[in-house]
Amino acid sequence: MNKNFLVIENISKSFGKNKVLENINLDISKSEFFGLLGSSGSGKTTLLRILGGFEKPDSGRIFLEGVDITNLEPFDRPLNYMFQSYALFPHLNVFDNLAFGIREKFNKNEINSEVKDISELLSIDNLLNRRIKQLSGGEQQRVALGRCLIKKPKLLLLDEPLAALDKKLRSKTQLELTSLQKQLKVTFVFVTHDQEEAMSLSDRMAIMREGKILECSSPEEVYENPKSFYTANFIGIANTIEVYKKSNHYFSNELNINLELEHEAKKQKTNILLRPEKIKIKSAKDVKINLVNSFEGVVLEKSYLGSFTRYEVKSGNKIISVLDQNYNSNSNYNFPIGERVLCSWEKESLKILED
Amino acid sequence: MKNKLFEKYFIFTPYFWLVLFFFIPLAIIFKISISVSEWGMPPYQELFIFENQFKFNATFENYIYIFRDFYYIGSFINSLILALISTFFCLLIGYPLAFYIATSNVRLRNILLVLVVIPFWSSFLLRVYAWKIILQNNGILNLILLNLGITSEPLQLLYNQYAVIMGIVYTYLPLMILPLYGYLNKFDLNLIDASKDLGLNRVKTFIKVILPLSIPGIIAGSLLVFIPVVGEFIIPEMLGGSDRLYYGKILWEEFFVNRNWPGASALAFTGIIILVLPIVFFQIIYSRWSEKNEI
Repeated sequence: MNKNFLVIENISKSFGKNKVLENINLDISKSEFFGLLGSSGSGKTTLLRILGGFEKPDSGRIFLEGVDITNLEPFDRPLNYMFQSYALFPHLNVFDNLAFGIREKFNKNEINSEVKDISELLSIDNLLNRRIKQLSGGEQQRVALGRCLIKKPKLLLLDEPLAALDKKLRSKTQLELTSLQKQLKVTFVFVTHDQEEAMSLSDRMAIMREGKILECSSPEEVYENPKSFYTANFIGIANTIEVYKKSNHYFSNELNINLELEHEAKKQKTNILLRPEKIKIKSAKDVKINLVNSFEGVVLEKSYLGSFTRYEVKSGNKIISVLDQNYNSNSNYNFPIGERVLCSWEKESLKILED
Repeated sequence: MKNKLFEKYFIFTPYFWLVLFFFIPLAIIFKISISVSEWGMPPYQELFIFENQFKFNATFENYIYIFRDFYYIGSFINSLILALISTFFCLLIGYPLAFYIATSNVRLRNILLVLVVIPFWSSFLLRVYAWKIILQNNGILNLILLNLGITSEPLQLLYNQYAVIMGIVYTYLPLMILPLYGYLNKFDLNLIDASKDLGLNRVKTFIKVILPLSIPGIIAGSLLVFIPVVGEFIIPEMLGGSDRLYYGKILWEEFFVNRNWPGASALAFTGIIILVLPIVFFQIIYSRWSEKNEI
């Protein structure tokens, strides 16, 4: 891994009074598949557009392989940008769209062979004479990708690469995109609002909110050990419990139970995260109540999801989500609504949320 | 039953309109153009005469006359050249304006569009007359030039073909801007970014992406300016000199000064044919081309 491949240093950007990006710092490695995840208005697309050269940052620098590209025009940057709408040229056919960026560099024979190579790689070699309007969404996406990759960019920026595809095609394309990236070893930086997409595609991802990066690490790390309350709730389903430090343990008013944590919390009052699949659910009749790291509650809602059953368990005024794996086809393991259940977990499953 | 019949023939309404207001007047003009001229009211002989026997009293003398005398052909050529030059300048000024309007934010865009349309709210004649006041020897423009010391004596700005072209470009500019804006407004600005991203600089992006995709707008705007300018009569009359004769003026004189209705009709009809046929031909070729290219 070549660190410092793409370095984003103190990038800030405002549109009028509206601060879109505030002091963004990122360090992206060569051949990394990097995701920028955030809801709309988080500034993720603006950051990508700044990388592409379509917007100029108010302050800060961008270095690509050590070269300052902050003030370079888009046409002078050794990178390419795939648009969410694909932005294919409607007046040109597939061949001419693919060849658009290499017309000046190569002669006719070279262009033909380059287009042939890239179209075979993306299996669009049978579409070369088609007009753009005659293509399906998935085919357009491949042409857009091919049009960028034919230039052999050092860095490919993708704006919501899968957003315009229907759900079935999306998961298929997700896999293709990952294998293509590993095969070509091009650095991909992409933007998405879809947390599942970010998790499955990224080697590392940055979670953005209101123009700031909240955290940046691998999908596993972000899911299992989120630093902030926002990230914990943004990625996956989260149970967050407010706890108070007592002499040698922690106490939750909401659930009226004592908790033990793996690590010491810094603050007197803190939020902790408990992912729903970490909770074991049992019938309250079977076991004695142990009030450390467990609570007794009533099943409020239940939805059968095939491989999992999701329960909403109520205790006091707090509702906790539980994902129970259906490892046994015996329906006795399912708890009906209204049943009293005991929920318990390992102390390693409790994560302290610092912010 | 009656309703169904109505529905069935309802689609013919536009054709009915065309027949009533285009083909019938055209037929009348053609009829007069092949009539024999005479002093009287109306100033031409009947085409069909029933005196003892039927007589078809037609003549092509008027057409032959037009093509024999360079006076008419020359004026027509003058008008075509004037229309070409004016259209070119309208495009030259209108295209960047339309592009700017289409790419600016919604608030500014609406203000600019209103500014483009505002001249239509005042009389066309008054606006052309205003130019006369601006350009005349003791007019505002000359006054400014004199006071700034750029010239020592007033320039002859009025009564020449430059004044005519300027007047036409001024008057017809909105007709160029509006259809161009209509097309450019739909233009996906991401295409410009995409082109730059793929390595083309601004000039090349304009030539390879923006220009090809604005051809329909350019054609619509150009036709909208070109066609009426060929027959334009008032602007050359008010701002032009006597050095150049234009088709519209000749036509007017033939009708109202010489009272030669058949000759004037022949001139009008010839004009329509010469103007309309190439445009129809061009439109057919263009629509085939654009269908093929999906623009």
